[in-house]
Amino acid sequence: MSFEPVPQRPPHLSQTGPQTGIAGAESARSARGALTISSLDKSFTISGTARKVLDGINLTVRPGEFVSIVGASGCGKSTLLRLIVGLDDEYTGEIRLDGERVATTSLDRGIVFQDHRLFPWMTLEQNVELALLNTDVPKSRRAQIVADHIALVNLTGFEKAYPHQLSGGMAQRAAIARALVTEPKLLLLDEPLGALDALTRVHVQNELQRIWMQQRSTMVMVTHDVEEALYLGDRVIVMTPHPGRIRRIVDVDLPHPRDRRSPVLHRLKDEILAELTAAPTDTTDDARGNLVLLPTREDR
Amino acid sequence: MSLLDHKPARFAVGLVAPALLLAWWQWQASRGGSNAVAFASLSTVGGAARELIVNGTLLADAAATLQRAFTGLGIGATLGIALGIAMAMWPLLDRLLGPLLNALRQVPMIGWLPLIGLWFGSDEGSELIVICLSAFFPAMLNAHAGVAQVERRYLEVGQIYGFSASQRFRRILLPAAMPMLLTGLTQSLAFAWIAAIAAELLMGASVGLGVTMQQAQTQQRLDIILVTIAVTAAIGFAINQLVYRIRSSLLAWQAPAQ
Ligand SMILES: Nc1ncnc2c1ncn2[C@@H]1O[C@H](COP(=O)(O)OP(=O)(O)O)[C@@H](O)[C@H]1O
Ligand SMILES: [Mg+2]
Repeated sequence: MSFEPVPQRPPHLSQTGPQTGIAGAESARSARGALTISSLDKSFTISGTARKVLDGINLTVRPGEFVSIVGASGCGKSTLLRLIVGLDDEYTGEIRLDGERVATTSLDRGIVFQDHRLFPWMTLEQNVELALLNTDVPKSRRAQIVADHIALVNLTGFEKAYPHQLSGGMAQRAAIARALVTEPKLLLLDEPLGALDALTRVHVQNELQRIWMQQRSTMVMVTHDVEEALYLGDRVIVMTPHPGRIRRIVDVDLPHPRDRRSPVLHRLKDEILAELTAAPTDTTDDARGNLVLLPTREDR
Repeated sequence: MSLLDHKPARFAVGLVAPALLLAWWQWQASRGGSNAVAFASLSTVGGAARELIVNGTLLADAAATLQRAFTGLGIGATLGIALGIAMAMWPLLDRLLGPLLNALRQVPMIGWLPLIGLWFGSDEGSELIVICLSAFFPAMLNAHAGVAQVERRYLEVGQIYGFSASQRFRRILLPAAMPMLLTGLTQSLAFAWIAAIAAELLMGASVGLGVTMQQAQTQQRLDIILVTIAVTAAIGFAINQLVYRIRSSLLAWQAPAQ
C-alpha cells in the first residue's frame, strides 16, 4: 500500500459554527447532498424531429457518496449533468436535491466542466474568487478562503498567473478549486481529467480523492476511464447510448483511500469493460428492454 | 535567433525603405529639367519645414487637426461602442437598426460630404460630423461582433455562480469583447485621422494640416505639401504605436500569438 500524506484541511473548512459562513456545522453537512432522479426523460429536437437522449433514468445518490458514470460518448452523460446542475430545465421526470426540485442553477450545486472554463482575462486567484461573488462569505475572509483552496489543489505560487500560463493539468485543478470554494452540497464533474496525460491524471485523481475524503460532499463524476471510475467511485453507473439508459450499477465496496492494484478493482474493471464493449449500439428497443432490467441495486 | 529579435536591428531594418525612398527622391530632384518641378530637393523641403516651424504654422496645424480628430473620435467611437454593445445584447434593437446601419456604412466617408455640406454648410460642425461618422462605424461593428461572439460556455459559468446582469456584463461580456472593442477603436482612430485631414482639405477649415496642404497646392509650393504629408504620416504612425502599446497592456491576459 502506497503511503500518501493527507494535507491539513483548510482552516475555514475545519471550523464549525456560524463563522464558517457557507460550510455550516459538520453534522449538518453530512446530512446534505442527497440526489434523487426519477423517471427522467430528455429529448433534443433537431430540425423538427425529437430525439430521445436520456430515457427513464432512475438514480439515488446518498449524501457524501462518490458516484462515477461511464458510458460511450454520446450516451447523454454531459446532458444528464447539465440537467442536474440546472443549466437546462427542459426535461420530464424529477431531479431533487435534498427533496427540493431542481429548476435552475444554484450555489448548492457545483460543476467542473471538461474544458476548464477559467476566464482567460482573470488571474487564477480572481477566477476562484468570482465563485464567491454571490455567497454570503464576508469580503474580509474571501482572500484567505481562495488561498486555502488554491493550496488544496497544490497551486500555491500561481495565484497571479493567467490561464494561458497554466498547463492543462494546472488549469483543471484550478477549475476544481473554483468549484469547491463555494462548498456545494453536490459537485458534478464532467470528464474533468479527460484532457490530461496519464501521469498528471493519476496525480489529480489522488488529489480529488483526498479532497473528497476531507469534504465529504456528494460528488458525481463522468469519465470515460473505467479504472478512474472504479478508483474513485463508491458506485459506478454504466450507461448505454441511443437513447441514454442506465445499464448497470456496480458497487465498489472498498474503503478509501484505495490501492490501485487491488484485485477487486481489476476484476470489476474487466466486468465493466466487457459490458461496455458488448453493449449493442443499434438494437431494437425490445432487446435493450431486457438489459435495463439489470440495475436493481439502487433500490436499496 | 533571427536578426529581428534584436531591438536596434529591428529598428534599423524598419528605416531601410524610408532611406531608400529619400535617396531615390533626392536623385530625381538633382536630375534637373522637368524633374525639378515634380521633385523638390530635400534641402528645399527642409527649408520649408524650418519656415513652418518657426512661424508656428506647423504646430498650430497639427494641434488643430489632432483636436478635430480626437473630438470626432471621442464622440463617434463612444456612440459606436455603446450602440454596438446594446445591439449585441438586445436582438430587437439589432433587428430594428441593423439593416439600416449596414446599408449606411456602405457609403464611403467622402460620399457624405455633399449632403452634410448642403445641410450644415462648410464649418467646424460639418467637419466634426464627418469625422464622427468615420469613427462611428468601425467602433460599432467591432463592439457588436465582440459581444455577440462571447462564448456561451463562459456565460454558463456566470449562470452557475448566480451572476446578476451587471456582474455578467462587467465580468464576462466586457472583458471577453475587449480585444475586438480595442480593434474597433484602433480602426476608428485611423479613420478619424484620415477623415480629419480629408475634411480640412475638402471643406475648408481655418487651420489644420489639410488646410495648409490645400493652400500650398494653390500656391504651387511643392515643398510645403511634402512637409505636411510627412507630418501627417508621422503623427498617424505615432498614434498607432501608442494605441498598440495601450492595447498590449490592456490585453496582457491574452496568450501571445504564435
Ligand atoms: N444542445 C444540443 N442539441 C441537440 N443535441 C444535443 C445537444 N447536446 C447534446 N446533444 C446530443 O445528445 C446526445 C448526448 O450528448 P452528450 O450528453 O454530450 O453525451 P456524452 O456526454 O455522453 O458524450 C448526443 O447525441 C448529442 O449529439
Ligand atoms: Mg460529454
